[in-house]
Amino acid sequence: MRKLFLIALKDLRLIFRDRSALILMLVAPFVLTLGMGAVTGRFSGSSTSGIRDIPVTIVNLDNGQLGNALVEMFTSADLADLVEPVLLSDLDAAKILVDEDESAAVIFIPEGFSASIIPDPATGSLSEHIEIEFYSNPTRPTSAGILKTILDQFISQVEIARISGEVAVRQMIENGLIETSQAAVLGATIGREMSNVSMARSSITINDITASGEAVEFDILSYMAPGMALMFLMFTVAYGGRSLIVENRQSTLPRMLVTPTSSTLILGGKVFGIFLTAVAQLLILIGGTSLLFRLYWGDLLGLIVLVMTAAIGATGWGVLLAAVLNTPGQVATVGSAVMLIFGLLGGSFFDLSNLPTWVQFLSRITPNAWGMDGFTTLALGGTLKNILTPVAALTGMGIVLFTISALWITRHGLSRK
Amino acid sequence: MKRLMAIMLKDNLIRFTSPLEWLFFLILPVIFTFILSGGTGEASDSRILLYVVDQAQSSLSISLISELERSTSVKPEVTSLNNAQSAFESRKVSAVLVLPEDLSMQTLQAGNAEVELWQQPSNTNALIARQGIQAAVNRVSSSVDIANISVNQASKIKPFSSESARQVFFDQALATAQDLMNSAPRRVVEIKGVTPDPVSYDPRANSSLGQMITWVFIPLIGLSAMFAMERQAGTLRRILVTPTSKATIIAGTVIGQVLTALVQMVILILFGIFVMKINWGESPLAVALMITSSALAAGALGTMLGTFVKTEGQANGLSIMVGMVMAMMGGCWYPIELFPAVIRNIVKIFPTTWAMQGMLDIVTRGQGVSGVWLEAAVLFGFALVFFVIGVWRFKYE
Repeated sequence: MRKLFLIALKDLRLIFRDRSALILMLVAPFVLTLGMGAVTGRFSGSSTSGIRDIPVTIVNLDNGQLGNALVEMFTSADLADLVEPVLLSDLDAAKILVDEDESAAVIFIPEGFSASIIPDPATGSLSEHIEIEFYSNPTRPTSAGILKTILDQFISQVEIARISGEVAVRQMIENGLIETSQAAVLGATIGREMSNVSMARSSITINDITASGEAVEFDILSYMAPGMALMFLMFTVAYGGRSLIVENRQSTLPRMLVTPTSSTLILGGKVFGIFLTAVAQLLILIGGTSLLFRLYWGDLLGLIVLVMTAAIGATGWGVLLAAVLNTPGQVATVGSAVMLIFGLLGGSFFDLSNLPTWVQFLSRITPNAWGMDGFTTLALGGTLKNILTPVAALTGMGIVLFTISALWITRHGLSRK
Repeated sequence: MKRLMAIMLKDNLIRFTSPLEWLFFLILPVIFTFILSGGTGEASDSRILLYVVDQAQSSLSISLISELERSTSVKPEVTSLNNAQSAFESRKVSAVLVLPEDLSMQTLQAGNAEVELWQQPSNTNALIARQGIQAAVNRVSSSVDIANISVNQASKIKPFSSESARQVFFDQALATAQDLMNSAPRRVVEIKGVTPDPVSYDPRANSSLGQMITWVFIPLIGLSAMFAMERQAGTLRRILVTPTSKATIIAGTVIGQVLTALVQMVILILFGIFVMKINWGESPLAVALMITSSALAAGALGTMLGTFVKTEGQANGLSIMVGMVMAMMGGCWYPIELFPAVIRNIVKIFPTTWAMQGMLDIVTRGQGVSGVWLEAAVLFGFALVFFVIGVWRFKYE
């Protein structure tokens, strides 16, 4: 066992003495994370972690019961975090705010809107049909969509109130409960009563269950830093695997084989060395980004387990490259290509949900995708029990790849490497 | 001239000795372009994700899910209870809607239909989901709500003689309510504003141009590794004994690799035209100007870097890192319009920014030579500065 550790520590020391390797192992992921933080506005405070304070301009020329109710709803405490309403009386000025991208939408309630829905109590008659105008900002489809949902919800409740009065009156006349002459007054009364009913009233009750714990604001860097660390982890394991071939070329591997050390132990030591280097790289990057960018990586226990298993999964790929390729140059070139492809497929550059479905499916062969899944979960407040699937997948990936590599090397002989 | 040609040929022979070089020359750029053309644009559906667990499987639950699918604010995704629980516990979704087994038209009419909404604490996305669900629930239950209101109003005037009389009244009211709801007039008219979109983004064009620049810049910056390798191997020293000037050696290497890069770019442009259906405009001269100036700037940058590094390994690592950072900051991976204003100004120090802008001018804005001369001039300027520094600092050992 001591020999295994000695071989591993020797490889670890060799890699960390190589300045060229350190550029891609530590400097590159750090610089790219820094660059991504800059372009996404993480360091200038302009990155957003959720939709809030949607600017909406309301022009209420109705000043009737419904127009006022709509304004009250948008200015209520319930929606205070979500919308930021501005009340104006000039429709043209309000539209300019949308056209200049300072507002997500204008809600224009024309004069007479209430009177077009609620019948006159005295005569029972309605004024001409009037529509609310929703002037939306096409460059903010999500925010405008949310405002439209709130508006639709209001209108739906108004419609229910209006039709309730009409249906009730019709039914009561048909069943002889009231005279036709009473219809107008009763209909208007029911309509008014119903329009005062809480917006939330429905025959279907929504039971709200709010999760315990504190709110977690997602930090965009919590996505980018693991992405870069995992991408360059692939460089590290390919570089580590390459050392197996380099040692053979430099005749240090045959020298080890003549010592009373089995080839299994030597291979185990080399693999353990790659694993240790991968763990060290991830821990240095996590420590560095935590200190310099104040990045929260999440639950410590989960983080340690995930780092270990990500290193196992990636080591499997590094050993496989060393097993099937023949020259250090081939391992370096293919290793770089694999690093970039896995980075792309694993979501290191872009959110995988934006990529085609077949890419998302294919991404599961990469340790990057599983690692990203785990790191993102931890950053969002998850714990070890929430990352058991990526942990199991990464461990399984490492075991399967190492077994294939071991069989390949056994068949072709360690000294041929 | 003969010496120049010999150096150019030698460098390309060395570079393409391994068939693996084709990975970086052609295969990876094509793969990246192809995949990213579908992945870097605006998300096609930007609504808030809402997991829905349909335990009821009833006509009412199906209606509710259909109504949610029409929502402008939430995007429902039906899943199992276990998946929803796992995603909710790991905070991957802001809200989960559970439609219990007893959610049916019977419970709705009886007024005791209930659904469960799990929300993350102090989460605005959960609040948005709540609004979307409430709107959908109101629409689905509206006819029954109206019928129930009618029954209540009628019973205030005269209590029903029996439960069956009440049910008959309810059924009639429900039918009338459904008719009236279906014929309800439009109350809101939506008009799209004329806000100019600050981000002119075409995923296919951006990914094709961005990846072309990325994959041309990285190997050209990698020229530094060629110089480092020759210096390490002592072959540069050997050239000292030949009557070849320093400028000829550097020019031979740079021009050789720039010409190779031009071939690479032409292949990638043809891939763009015939596979990605990208319109490269009407001005081949503008295209030639941009690809030549871009390649020269990248090649000269590689020459300059080659004088700062000591080993081939350092040069390889540095060229990949510098190439990736410049590509990202230059808007080759993400639209530059999305960057903060300060960063948009800072990134003008990178040649990739000018290369990307010039090529976007041709492809997305249909510009000719007159529209890209500034970008090309800046790139030639970069090339000149980098080349002068490279020659000045060049050492054989």
